[in-house]
Parts: sequence; structure tokens; C-alpha cells
Amino acid sequence: MLFNSFVFSVFLAVFFPLYLLVRRDVFARNVFLIVSSYVFYGWWDPRFLILVAVSTSVDYVAALGAAGKPVSRVDRLKSAAFLLATTAGGLGFASREDLWLVPLVLAGICTAGLATYAIDRAPEGRRRRYWLYLSLVTNLGVLALFKYFNFFATSIAAALAAIGIEIQAASLSIILPVGLSFYTFQALSRTIDCYRGRFDPAYSIVDYAAYHAFFPQLVAGPIERAGHLMPQFERVLPLTRGLVGSGALLFVWGLYQKLVIADNLAPLASGVFDDPEGGTAAATLVGVLAFAFQIYCDFCGYSNMARGLARCLGFDLVANFDLPYFARTPSEFWRRWHISLSTWLRDYLYIPLGGSRGGTAATCRNLMATMLLGGLWHGAAWTFVAWGGLHGLIQAAYRALKVESLIERHPFMTATGVLVHGAAWLATMGLVTIGWVFFRARSFGDAMAVLQNLAGVTGYSFQAFGPLLQYVVPLIAAEIYQRASNRQEIFAGGPFVIRYVAFLFVMFSLLALSAPGGQEFIYFDF
Amino acid sequence: MPIRLRASVHRILVYVGLTGFALLFGEVFLRIADPQPLLPRYVTGTAWGVRGNIPHARYRHRTPEVDVEFRINGQGMRADRDFPLGRQAGTCRIAVFGDSFFMGYELDLKDTFSARLEERLREDRYNADVLNFSVSGFGTAEMIRHYERFGRRFEPDVVVFQWHASDPEDNVRADLFDFEDGRVVATERSYLPLVALQDALMKFSLYRLITDQSHLYSFARERASVFARRLMAMAEKRTAEPGAEAHAAGAADDGPGEPESKTPYEISLSAALLRHAAAMARGEERDFFVVEVPKRLSRASYGSTIGVLPGADLAELNVLSPLQDFRRLSSEDAKLYYERGHGHLTPLGVAVLVAAVAPRLEQSARLRGCKQ
Repeated sequence: MLFNSFVFSVFLAVFFPLYLLVRRDVFARNVFLIVSSYVFYGWWDPRFLILVAVSTSVDYVAALGAAGKPVSRVDRLKSAAFLLATTAGGLGFASREDLWLVPLVLAGICTAGLATYAIDRAPEGRRRRYWLYLSLVTNLGVLALFKYFNFFATSIAAALAAIGIEIQAASLSIILPVGLSFYTFQALSRTIDCYRGRFDPAYSIVDYAAYHAFFPQLVAGPIERAGHLMPQFERVLPLTRGLVGSGALLFVWGLYQKLVIADNLAPLASGVFDDPEGGTAAATLVGVLAFAFQIYCDFCGYSNMARGLARCLGFDLVANFDLPYFARTPSEFWRRWHISLSTWLRDYLYIPLGGSRGGTAATCRNLMATMLLGGLWHGAAWTFVAWGGLHGLIQAAYRALKVESLIERHPFMTATGVLVHGAAWLATMGLVTIGWVFFRARSFGDAMAVLQNLAGVTGYSFQAFGPLLQYVVPLIAAEIYQRASNRQEIFAGGPFVIRYVAFLFVMFSLLALSAPGGQEFIYFDF
Repeated sequence: MPIRLRASVHRILVYVGLTGFALLFGEVFLRIADPQPLLPRYVTGTAWGVRGNIPHARYRHRTPEVDVEFRINGQGMRADRDFPLGRQAGTCRIAVFGDSFFMGYELDLKDTFSARLEERLREDRYNADVLNFSVSGFGTAEMIRHYERFGRRFEPDVVVFQWHASDPEDNVRADLFDFEDGRVVATERSYLPLVALQDALMKFSLYRLITDQSHLYSFARERASVFARRLMAMAEKRTAEPGAEAHAAGAADDGPGEPESKTPYEISLSAALLRHAAAMARGEERDFFVVEVPKRLSRASYGSTIGVLPGADLAELNVLSPLQDFRRLSSEDAKLYYERGHGHLTPLGVAVLVAAVAPRLEQSARLRGCKQ
């Protein structure tokens, strides 16, 4: 169910009072969170609960093993029982035709059982690594099957066809389970942290399942680290009226970003990307900029809603965005955009590849590899890979040109500083915007057509930008205020009058200017 | 004053001040960002248990597209003069019953259906008065009650009932008639939704000022009305017979583009009500017609809503529809409905409607006596 749907408001109206009743008992609260989160997620398709349960069950035992802890028969039975119970629960709401999944789950449990049996018999020094492999194979295998199988199969067939070998590309008729990329990455990070000795996993499968399925962030992040979020599931959390109020305000701000800005800008962007060759240069620029703000407000809006909801329950989720369109370099952009993913890629991919320790060429190679895979994470299409590649390339170029040190040498509050910072910001935003063209376009041909249109000078007038500006100007004003007052959240602190006026503006905008028809979040597709 | 009491008073004053500021802010915000159509309803209860226009009321309708004055005569009709009861020698009378479309929402008096029809008839040398008994929100059931208890006193020669998409739901909701063995039976109940509240509020000039001028009030009233309709649709969905599910979904969003989906009961009741009205008028030696106002499905596409009724009924009811003309004009991008108000007919839309139905009305034997 969507945060911006009537069904969710009913869900919340039932969930929240019950949560307040059980929140002081950790076990009861976590069981209630698991059930609620599964209802929330299963609303899309109850069959996909099996995948969540597979990831939960495998990572529960794999993390223990990867941490070097004994994995007893009881732990394995708990894990299998959890998977079976969730499968039964999920299929209870699915059609009879889906019962073929039961033997598949049983076969999966048997396979996992055999794998753990084999791990137990491996030399002691290698067991931890094998437990890690079990988690990697399971999570990445599910991801590869559901998200990338068709993409790679058709790409290989196309590549072979280019050299004269015609084969029929295999294809699976499956849909991508919502949030798969998010929860598999979150599960992987915990097991890897356990393997690295950075996190000590506990033996409660209930605590872990509640952490894994926590509904505010299950389907689109932020991708949490176990070290930050897991301990919150192991204790009673304080919940004050102030905390609930601030969470509600953050949720409302996210809702405004989504319903008023992102959803109203969506038609402007679609107008350009659905017909990339039509339209004037000004209309194309408006469409591209509209998409830049649409995707920002869509995803940042979701993250704010997730954080706000979690805060209303007493939980703290990491901030996922930090005013990314103020970035002056591509590296800074990635420190501010989808922070939980970029830090994940940094910690589990870029640094293990060598990071910036091996000289400029190796650093550039690592950057490119990280960004290419980051692009692929977003979607199974070559346009996403190109988008990631473009970001890798410009980061490498900025690094080679030492732009960051140039910016650091010139403080902003000087004439030269304003010039340097302004030019750096303009260049970075230009490149980021070009990147969005590849991200949004349906094909390379479409992307090139849009870029070609952008190069023209036709149709420019103030009126052409009116539909964009009416939604974007309040956001820009709010972010300038945040930046100037160094506030990560618009309603956090500051003069009451400003907060009250901002609140009224947001509320009346939501009431009067929300786009009709609940649109899904863009990042649900990833 | 004790400190605690003073603190409480202070707190109350702060909340009142903040609420007042919020309302003022909302009013200014809507005027700038999303001007609302201001379409106040000056209706009250009648002695015969349905709504009626407040006699002698004068008010305006303002939308981003129009600014028109409403003048209601002493008999609750949208007209500048009162009409004597009983037949007038040498003059024919056409009684028009409808909802906001025929009452002329978003239109000047001269552009309303009744005024344009009268003008057309006079151009064609008919000495005819068209009496507009329409009241916003009416369905067929209320039109019948209004005709039975009030309209027939004026002894019209021709009776015209408007038909629109919302009538089937309105007819069930009004509960003025039951439907037994294919016949309608009057319940003698009243249908005066929120009229008592409105009457009480209308005594205050501040309320009248707000209802006439406030964008925030208009916005809140419309949202509340949509919400109430959704709730009623959900309630009907639970209680009504099979087929109601699709109906409830359709009724929840009664805007342009929504497909028509009526329950069998709504259709049967509505057809029976129209048959009942026709029989009543003909029994009194009056001609009876039904004029369909097509439903706007999108900017340039229109759909029939009376087509849901059984074909046999349609043949019997003298149904007049401008649908073909509307569809023909849609290819010329003619603006037949307002787009930024509440979607009523434009003067062009009314002109097309009158041009489509007048020739058939002029064939009425009852009007021959007043042809000059």
C-alpha cells in the first residue's frame, strides 16, 4: 500500500493505537510490527512475502555463522519455521493456483539445510566465509532472478545476434517485487558487518524479522545499517508527544514533496520523454528540469515520510537526502543524494575494491565500477548503466582536475569564492541534469533526441517556465532557508512564526494542489 | 484573576488567534494559488417537503470563467417577474423542471435554458412563457413532488423534465418514492438534506457574506460534499444488491470521465418515475418531454446517460437529446461546458441544446393554440 493512499490511512488508524498499547513490551511490539509490516507489504501481492521471509530466514542464521557464533539446530528450525509460517500466511491470501510455491519453498529449505550441513563440515577457518557466501548467493540470487534475468538474457541474445549468432532469448514472466533491491541490500550489509566483526548479531529471530520488515522503510529505504537500527528493536523506545509531533510534521513535508511537487511535475516530464522529438528547446528544458525535481521530491518525499512515520513510533532512521541540489561537485552530490545507498556502495563495494588507495588510475577505475553497478542497481536497463557511468566519469574527471581542493581554497564569502562556488554548482547541476535524461529516457535514442532538443534556442519565454516554477519556487525557498539556517528539516526549530506559516502553506497546498490520482513512487520500481 | 485561570484564558486566546490566522491564511492562499468557484446555494425547505429556491434572493456566482447574478422571483423561480396561477388566455406555458443545469448555474438569466427556449419560441411566433421550476440538486423524484404540489397550479401546457447523470442516485437517495411491482408509490416523506442547518445559518449576514465571498468556505463545502458522497457510496455498496459495487465506485467520483454505472434498482426506479411523471402530465392533458443533458466525459467527448433506461421507456417518454450535435461540435473544439467551475453548460452549450430540442417541442399539439 502507498503512504499516499486511503487504504494506508485506514491501516495507520488501526495500527497506531494498537502499537501504543504494545510498545512497552519488546517481544509483543516486534511481533506486532512483523505482522503489520507483512500486511503492509502483502497488500501489493501476498506471494512476495515469501521472498521477504527467505531473506529473513537465511540472513538470520547466516549472520550468526558469519559472526563466528554457533548456529544450533534450534536456530535452524526457528529459521525454517519462520519461512514456512510466512509462506502459509502469504499463500493464505493468494489464489489456489499459487500452491505450487509450497513444494518450491520446501525444496529451498532442504537445499539451505544441506548447505548449512556442508558448512558445518567445512574447515573451521572457512566456515564464517561460507556463511557469508550463503547470504550473498541467496540475496543476490533472488535479486538476479527477479530483477536482472530477463535483462541479461535479452542483452546476451542481442550481443550474439550482432555477431551473427541468432538465439532465442530465454525470458521469465515474473514481475519485480516492490522494494526487493532495498531489503536485500539491507540484509546483506548486516551479514557483511557481522562477518567483518562490526556487528554482533543476537539470537532473536523475532527482533531480526521486525528489523528486516520494518514497514516505514521496507519498500524504498533508507537502506539501514544494523549497527544503527537493530539495537532499536532490542529495547523499549521512548516516545514523547514532541517526537510524535516532529515525526508527523516530517511525514507531512514528505507528503507535500510527493503529492504537490513530484506528482504535479510528472506530466511535464512525461510530455517531453514520451515524445522526445517533439517540442521546443524551452519545453524540453522545462520537461528535463521537471523530472530533476520530480525524482528528487518523489524519493526525498518518500524518505521523509518513512523517517517521519518511524519517528512517530519512536524509531530513528538515517537521513537519506541533504539538500543535494546545492552540491558543487559530483562527489558532494552523492554525499547528499540517496545517502544510504551511496554509503552502502562506498562501504561494501568502492572501499573493498581499493577505494582511493591505489593512485589516480585505480581510484578512477574503482569509481567507475562502483557507479556502473550503482546505475544497474537502479534498474535493469542500459540507460541506467549509462547514467551510472556518466556519474563515474564526471567524478573521475573532477578528481583528476582537483575541483574540490579548488573550491576549498576559496571561501564562499569572497568575490572569487562566489564565482568559483557558483560556477562549480552550475557545472555540477548541468551534468547532473544531463544524467537525469539518461535515467528517465526509455532508450538511448530517446535520450539523444532530448539532448539534441535541449541544444536549441526555440520557445524561450517566461510563460514557458510558469508551470514548473509554480511548484518549484516554494521548494527552493524552503531549501535556501534550510541551508542558511543549517537545518536538515524544515520544521525543526527556528522562529515559531516561520514554522507556523510554512505549516499552513504545506497543509493548504496539500488540500488544494495535490495532483489527482495516487501515483506510485518512482523508486518502487528499483 | 487567578494565575491558572489567566493562563487558561491566555492559552485559549492564543489558539483562537492561531485558528483565525490559519483561516485568513487559507483564504488568501486559495485566492492566489487556486481560486475556487463561488457558487452559493440559496435554497430552503418548501411546504411540500423538498428544497426550493429562496424567494426574492439575489446573489452572484463567480468562477474563474464567469461572474453572473442570480435573481429569484417571489415564487422561487429564477426569473425577474412573478407568474399568475392558472391558465392565461392566448399564452401557452411550458414548465421546466431540472437541477442546476436548467436553473442556469454559471449562466446569466438570459442564457438559461428556459430563457433561451422562450426566446426561440417567440422568434418562431409562439406566445409562450417558459416557467423555470428548477432547483439545484434535484433528481426526478423531487421534480415530480415539485410538479405535483406546486408546478401544476400554473396549469402548464407542456411539462419538460431534465435528465442528467446524477438522477438515478439522487432518486434513490431522496427516498420520496418506493418502487413496488413495477410501479412507484409515494412515501410522503420529506427530503431536505441539511436545509434546517442552512436556514439557521442564512439568518446571519456574516454567514451569507462568507457563503457569497469566501474561497475557503467554498473549498471546504465542496470537499465535504465529495467526502459525504463517497461515504454514502460506500454505505450503498455494502447494502445494495449485486451490481452496486461498480455503481458505488462510479458515484464516488462523479466527475467528467467517470464511466456510468448504475444499479438495476436505480435504473428501474428512475424509469418508473419518468413514466409516472409522463402519465401524470398526460392525464392532465399536458404534453410531456424529457430533455437529456449529456455527460461530459472529457474535453471533447460526451456520453448519453439516459441510454441506461430500457428502450421501451425511452420511446414512450419523448426523450429529446442534443447528443449528436454535441458530438458534432466536439470536433470543432467548441466549449460547451465550463471547465474551471462546476462543469455546467456554457451559453453555447445551452444554445445548442435549445436548437436541438425546440423543433420537437414546437410540434406539440398543446402549443398550436398560441402560434401567432
